[in-house]
Amino acid sequence: MRRALKIYRILTIQNLKRLMEYKADFLTGAVSFLIDQAIGIAFIFIIFSQIPQLAGFSFEQIVFIYGFSQIPKGLDHLLTDNLWCVGYFIVRKGDFDKYLTRPINPLFHVIAETFQVDAIGELVVGVGLICYSAPNAGLCITPLSMTLFVLSVPFCTLIYTAIKISTSALAFRIKSSGYIIQMVYGMNEFAKYPTTIYSNVIRLFVTYVIPFALTGYYPVLYLITGEDPLFNIGGVVIISVLFFALSLMVWNQGLKAYESAGS
Amino acid sequence: MIYAENLRKEFTKIVKEPGLKGSFKALFHPHKEIVVAADNISFHVPKGEVLGFIGPNGAGKSTVIKMLTGILTPTRGQCWINGKIPQNDRKNYVREIGVVFGQRTQLWWDLPLLETYSVLKEIYEVSDKKYRERMSFLNEVLELDDFIHSPVRTLSLGQRMRADIAASMLHSPKVLFLDEPTIGLDVVVKDNIRRAIMKINQEEHTTVILTTHDISDIELLCDRIVMIDKGKNVYDGSLRKLKQNYGQMRELSFETDTSEHLTPEKFYKGLNLSGEDLTVKNDKNIFNVRFNSEAIPVGDMLNYTLSITKVKDISVKDADIEEIIRRLYKEGADEIE
Repeated sequence: MRRALKIYRILTIQNLKRLMEYKADFLTGAVSFLIDQAIGIAFIFIIFSQIPQLAGFSFEQIVFIYGFSQIPKGLDHLLTDNLWCVGYFIVRKGDFDKYLTRPINPLFHVIAETFQVDAIGELVVGVGLICYSAPNAGLCITPLSMTLFVLSVPFCTLIYTAIKISTSALAFRIKSSGYIIQMVYGMNEFAKYPTTIYSNVIRLFVTYVIPFALTGYYPVLYLITGEDPLFNIGGVVIISVLFFALSLMVWNQGLKAYESAGS
Repeated sequence: MIYAENLRKEFTKIVKEPGLKGSFKALFHPHKEIVVAADNISFHVPKGEVLGFIGPNGAGKSTVIKMLTGILTPTRGQCWINGKIPQNDRKNYVREIGVVFGQRTQLWWDLPLLETYSVLKEIYEVSDKKYRERMSFLNEVLELDDFIHSPVRTLSLGQRMRADIAASMLHSPKVLFLDEPTIGLDVVVKDNIRRAIMKINQEEHTTVILTTHDISDIELLCDRIVMIDKGKNVYDGSLRKLKQNYGQMRELSFETDTSEHLTPEKFYKGLNLSGEDLTVKNDKNIFNVRFNSEAIPVGDMLNYTLSITKVKDISVKDADIEEIIRRLYKEGADEIE
């Protein structure tokens, strides 16, 4: 574990050095993420200028859900962005060979190789919206609820990571899975709003099948109502661990099917 | 040291008809075909040996190397290296090997070369002291000093290849896999790399498996060669034995007077030989005769030539290894078909 952290630190430092090599590209990336976020927030303001409540949630509560959902998304984005490249080209071009000839876990290696600073945009927006909306969101704040709420963050992040690991691992069998990651990952849009605004099918889907609702709505629901921590937080923990275990299985099975590329 | 036993690797290929329409058709009704990239490959390499692993393009060399290095899982068969099965004990196994794929790089593309080595140092847990010793040794044999502070993307191919070999050697591996380490390089760099491989092998008794299309690589470096073609073993033995078995080819070159009207047919008919045993080519009055000295001794050949024509200049030489290998590739292909 200590060794893993050391390697992670070293690879991350290399990454930051690389960013300094390509400053213009980095700045453009950061700005485009900010624009993306601004559009999302503007959308909420527009909705609430027309209607005072959404599925029983006040404006501040919706903003809080939106803000919170950006944090696990941002953390996953910060730490595991290289999985996109696995899906898009690392496997297809046979560049995955490199990771298999090194004495560290290939999944860890590929993840540790990228530290995606763009994600700081999401984290800043997320924290900003939480701070802005929290005073008027009618939260039920107790030491227990705060502890459980904060505790849920790494597990929410794990759901993102698990989904990216399993979809990117499909590339080992079908060569390229970038668009599949994109499609599945795109469903995180559902995490930004209360699931009660969707139909039953979609609600069940984003809770149990591609469980992005667990990364935003449910933990916040607990903080607002103070009810049902067993599902709202416990469910997040159990389902995220389950999904992560499953994604590791998919990954490891995928490795055996890896075919490299001609050279 | 290295045992490969009946290694077989199958790939599933989806056969598509040409064009976009074919691609769509394959999407819904894939016509799958099994391609055998390596079949029944067995060989053994003792410690400290340099093995030349050769064969024409697409013979399955890289597939075998990738199975030996643990990148691919064999469909059937097994390999043991240092008593380990790469696929079962990958993490511990790869500590003891170094791998260079000439067509790819394992260096960090955007960073100065030295940074790659400092990252690899941590990944392979090389101590500071050992790292310094290693870097000075590698600097000496591969002359990295000139470009060690340059970003990898700015290196020339020759520099990159030397840097890649150094990267694979940093943790003092017991076995070194070099897949086409001299591909696309000029003579001077090739020579530099060969000397480095030789030195590493001599000083550290590193076992080396080397694939190459460059005959000089084989002649200068390899104690033994294993040749495969179409996924199968074709030859396994020393280069000397190969030359003895297949090296009976000689080449006779001579120039006749312009007044002579000699034609190649005169050789074929007069000696009653053809095909692999005899080929005659001429450019006006300059003749080139390749013949098998087992079918016709060199003396007889000379006598015959001198009896049918007046020569101005004549020479006989051994066929080079390239010629032998060309013949062997051809025979290997015939055997399988």
